Amino acid sequence: MEECNVEALVGNDGDGGQATKGGLEFTVEQYKLELLEPYSLLLPSVVLVVGFPPKSKTLLFGGGGGGGGGSMDRPAAGASYQRFPRVRIRELKDDYAKFELRDTDASMANALRRVMIAEVPTVAIDLVEIEVNSSVLNDEFIAHRLGLIPLTSAAAMGMRFSRDCDACDGDGSCEYCSVEFHLAARATDSDQTLEVTSNDLRSTDPKVCPVDQARAYQHALGGSEPFDTAAAADQRGILIVKLRRGQELRLRAIARKGIGKDHAKWSPAATVTFMYEPEIRINEELMETLTLDEKRSLVESSPTKVFNIDPNTQQVVVEDPEAYTYDDEVIKKADAMGKPGLIEINAKEDSFIFTVETTGAITAYDLIMNAITVLRQKLDGVRLQDDDGDLGELGAHLVGG
Amino acid sequence: MNAPDRYERFVVPEGTKKVSYERDTKIVNAGSFTIEREDHTIGNILRMQLHRDPNVLFAGYKLPHPLQYKIIVRVHTANQSTPTQAYTQAINDLDKELENLKQAFEDEKNRYEERPKQGY
Repeated sequence: MEECNVEALVGNDGDGGQATKGGLEFTVEQYKLELLEPYSLLLPSVVLVVGFPPKSKTLLFGGGGGGGGGSMDRPAAGASYQRFPRVRIRELKDDYAKFELRDTDASMANALRRVMIAEVPTVAIDLVEIEVNSSVLNDEFIAHRLGLIPLTSAAAMGMRFSRDCDACDGDGSCEYCSVEFHLAARATDSDQTLEVTSNDLRSTDPKVCPVDQARAYQHALGGSEPFDTAAAADQRGILIVKLRRGQELRLRAIARKGIGKDHAKWSPAATVTFMYEPEIRINEELMETLTLDEKRSLVESSPTKVFNIDPNTQQVVVEDPEAYTYDDEVIKKADAMGKPGLIEINAKEDSFIFTVETTGAITAYDLIMNAITVLRQKLDGVRLQDDDGDLGELGAHLVGG
Repeated sequence: MNAPDRYERFVVPEGTKKVSYERDTKIVNAGSFTIEREDHTIGNILRMQLHRDPNVLFAGYKLPHPLQYKIIVRVHTANQSTPTQAYTQAINDLDKELENLKQAFEDEKNRYEERPKQGY
């Protein structure tokens, strides 16, 4: 545990060190110390990090026992600059998650967001064979609507893409890469229009079905609250087409695994966003010089409710820092009041608040976990193959000496 | 009509290498990696991880054209290292970071689910 804390601290320092050379060298030092010293010495060495002058890095380096190859102040290649991100879940529901991600940078947060939206696989209807369609919508229109219905895709990570499936030609007769659906509906004699919904889709694989069917099934099992209006609306299914008397729709559909990059119907994400965590500082001394009316107008100048006035002490307090939209309005207001520096707001560069919402195809937690898995697979795919690695290094050695 | 197939964005064509390295003709310890069928997702995390390595003097990536589904990562290192070494190390570090993150998420989920049972 202690070791972990130390490394997290080092990770932080290195992050800031991108701009200042001293900080960057420091990361390396910390790393070496960790290798050389017994763990008991690790904690004091962290204390050194805080506010250590960048100049003294050479001194520390000498003490560290010179693994830097002698020349200059750069470390030997092969040192690790790994970070140890921390996570705190604030809210976790089936299709919604809110969490904090710390000790990493915006590139990692954004990569996770991009992967969640476009590269986590799900199953969606991809091929439709229409047997009878006498509805008012044309065949393509219905095929498109079928494609957009979210299907339960918990098994998608283990499925094959039909383009890499050896067992079939992707015609839907293969258990590894496709699931077949049937739909047959006919409006008989009554005067009412018949609504054909996702509930009319019959799956050949119980693991893959429209998400609202799955939810209705869960409800039936759980026997949950009957007055849940949201649940009642869910039970109606997703409307595909309305049929008038005598009209008929009969089709066979094949669902396949795919990713959002190919078509948005495969995206499991409804929304994935992250924001930098804001750090709001109020200059209390300067704030004391404001009258209550001035404080009120300052609080009101923010379009979102970030600040409030404490009813007892009549002080301006930060009520909800995360409501801040980086609009700069309060800062402008403070400037206009002739009190620059009254409020300072910074975005923490290594701290993010994620909001993840899924379509229901997979749970929010699975979406996050699958995104991490997919990103790792992608990274693994871009490793240098042995042959280019050797060649590259050999070439470099020949030139670089 | 003549739009490229959608799968071309992420399927590496047969006979093409996923990653190829080309050494710079003028500068020692510099070169570019051409990564086929990748985009900003990989490009940006690689670049930022390479920046954390003090031996890396320059690291940048570009997506040359939105319909050419590849990125070019250019790396220049000090002579204690080589672009290939720095590149491999960056991938290793990112991979370990994600492994760590996954574990952190699992632990955090367990903690989150245990919380209400404790009863305040």
